[in-house]
Amino acid sequence: MLRMRNITKIYRTSLIETHALSRFQFEVEPGEFVSVMGPSGSGKTTFLNIAGLLDTFDEGHYELGGEDVSQLSDVEMSRVRNEKIGFIFQSFNLLPDLDVFDNVDIPLRYRGMPRKERKEAIQSALETVGLSARLRHYPSQLSGGQQQRVAVARALVGKPGLILADEPTGNLDSAMAREIINLLEQINDTGTTIVMVTHDQEMAHRAGRQIFLLDGRVIDIRDEEAKPLFDPDRFMPSMPTPSLA
Amino acid sequence: MLLYNLRLSWKSLLRNPSLALLTVAAIGLGIAVATSFTAIYYLMTADPLPHKSDNIYYVRLDSWNPERPFNDEFPERPPAQVTYLDATAVVKSDIPTHTAASFHSDLFVYPEDKTQHPFEVSVRLCHSGFFPIFELPFAYGGPWDRRADEGPDRVVVIDDATNQRLFGGSDSVGQRIKLGPEYFTISGVLEPWRPVTKYYDVLNASSGSPEQAYIPFLHVRDMEIATDGNTQGWKSGDGEGFAAFLSSESTWVQLWAQIETADQKARYQTFLDAYTEQQRTLDRFQRPTNNWIQPMREWHVEEGAVPPEARSMMVISLLFLAVCSINLIGLLLGKFLARAPEVGVRRALGASRRAIFLQHIVECQLLGMLGGVVGIVLSVGALGGISTMFLDDVTLHLDATMIAIGIALALISGLVAGIYPAWRVCAVAPAIHLKTQ
Repeated sequence: MLRMRNITKIYRTSLIETHALSRFQFEVEPGEFVSVMGPSGSGKTTFLNIAGLLDTFDEGHYELGGEDVSQLSDVEMSRVRNEKIGFIFQSFNLLPDLDVFDNVDIPLRYRGMPRKERKEAIQSALETVGLSARLRHYPSQLSGGQQQRVAVARALVGKPGLILADEPTGNLDSAMAREIINLLEQINDTGTTIVMVTHDQEMAHRAGRQIFLLDGRVIDIRDEEAKPLFDPDRFMPSMPTPSLA
Repeated sequence: MLLYNLRLSWKSLLRNPSLALLTVAAIGLGIAVATSFTAIYYLMTADPLPHKSDNIYYVRLDSWNPERPFNDEFPERPPAQVTYLDATAVVKSDIPTHTAASFHSDLFVYPEDKTQHPFEVSVRLCHSGFFPIFELPFAYGGPWDRRADEGPDRVVVIDDATNQRLFGGSDSVGQRIKLGPEYFTISGVLEPWRPVTKYYDVLNASSGSPEQAYIPFLHVRDMEIATDGNTQGWKSGDGEGFAAFLSSESTWVQLWAQIETADQKARYQTFLDAYTEQQRTLDRFQRPTNNWIQPMREWHVEEGAVPPEARSMMVISLLFLAVCSINLIGLLLGKFLARAPEVGVRRALGASRRAIFLQHIVECQLLGMLGGVVGIVLSVGALGGISTMFLDDVTLHLDATMIAIGIALALISGLVAGIYPAWRVCAVAPAIHLKTQ
């Protein structure tokens, strides 16, 4: 589903180069549910942005759903994002001026889908997340958990093969977080691939596979020396190593 | 997608109505000023007789001093008017469909009602062909018969205001009025008529009102009516007094002809050239033959019938609109960049940069359209004020073309104001804002 080979991402200023990802190797099979963990600054967000075609990279090769997406134009990248990827964010990122229906409608609008099909798809997505009765509610009229369910419906509505979730339970209490993770499991059971970045060990263990990032690289969890780094009690931020440009 | 973008734009305006009002007011003010002055320029330069102006010609004969040209700067140009001698001779030609000599003067009207004081009216002395050439609109009666051009009946056409004053606006055809020392019988009464430019006489106060009375040209001689317009000459006439003036080489009469075909025009040119050749034998027309049958619109342009101030004001008003638009760039830039997190979400969900750019351009165009509507409403009021204050009973108005120009200017303003902010916001890196929203 997702294959990254030797991805390197460097953030540059006039004085400093920061290697956010270094020869990053990562692969996800279709239908997998993978959680990505790591301390702050380990490259999780950079990885997610590149995986979601929201950011470019300096070196390497990236295939998504069998399509080489390393060198796409903006229009092509937008199409791939629209058709193949669904996003769920920590802070929900619903648009406050739009009601539930219109928020879920956004990806379908950019796909140019006819009105009738859009309406059916939105109804179906909202039924999946249990919010079909809240079509005309605005985000401010919903609880945090409900807002995140709307965001899940928005990610689902275009029937993408891959959902990228960035701390989807980070802003929720534990009961609501469990609801969301249950929902993601249900979605995964239908064959949708999910990659979830999280700090939460419990949530991470609900995924079929966990990977750990450190200093822009994937760390092998079987490596006994690395294990302590991911002990929740010793979860210390680790900054990427800067080097002078 | 256009309707979707319009809906988003409308929501965006409602989100911050005071900012939207400020933007619309700025565009509206610019449009009001630009549309008003463009409308004035447009009305002044508009073809007064679009269906026939190509067939109306201004006749010019070079009877000027053989020692030097009439116009030192443009020596090829004949005098702007013709002499009385030439006007009365050439106007007899039956080659044009209609022809007329004319000039402007003033006479006193002595009302029959002795309780009314005599009052002065502007008078145009002209041939009967003047009325069909320039299509003066009649409320009652019509122009005098062509035979009246030769006398002896004294006939007059009066305007609506004079008819209101003397006869209360009733059908006064056949009634008599005393103009100067003589009585004239009314053959026709004009409808209220006020062209923006006096297109039949651009040499004398072209933006002024039309004359209040029109009498046959021949009365210039028997009533010794002097012109009140421009007179330029280079040689005195024989004898003394008014007769000497009429026989002089002074040019003060304007000569017009309506010609339908190229053949007619060629024959008329031959006639004019033959006439001046014949006059050479009388020791006149000693310059090379240079007789012009000049299209009316060309004559208007040469004479600068549109005041240069009108063009300058139009240019300044368009610059003012440009300044309004440029000032809005900063306002819209701030507004659009504040929306970067929303743009980030839309980009993540599949919007291309182009889609984001178009969304914001549509919003600018909506602002421009609203500003255009406000500006056109203001412009209608402004034109009314300008008419009242400066243009002596001319009613300036916006026609469909000017409204379309106003809306087009508003859309261009919206585009000018919005293109840079829209470009900036569509170039925002989406990833930065997704985490921070």
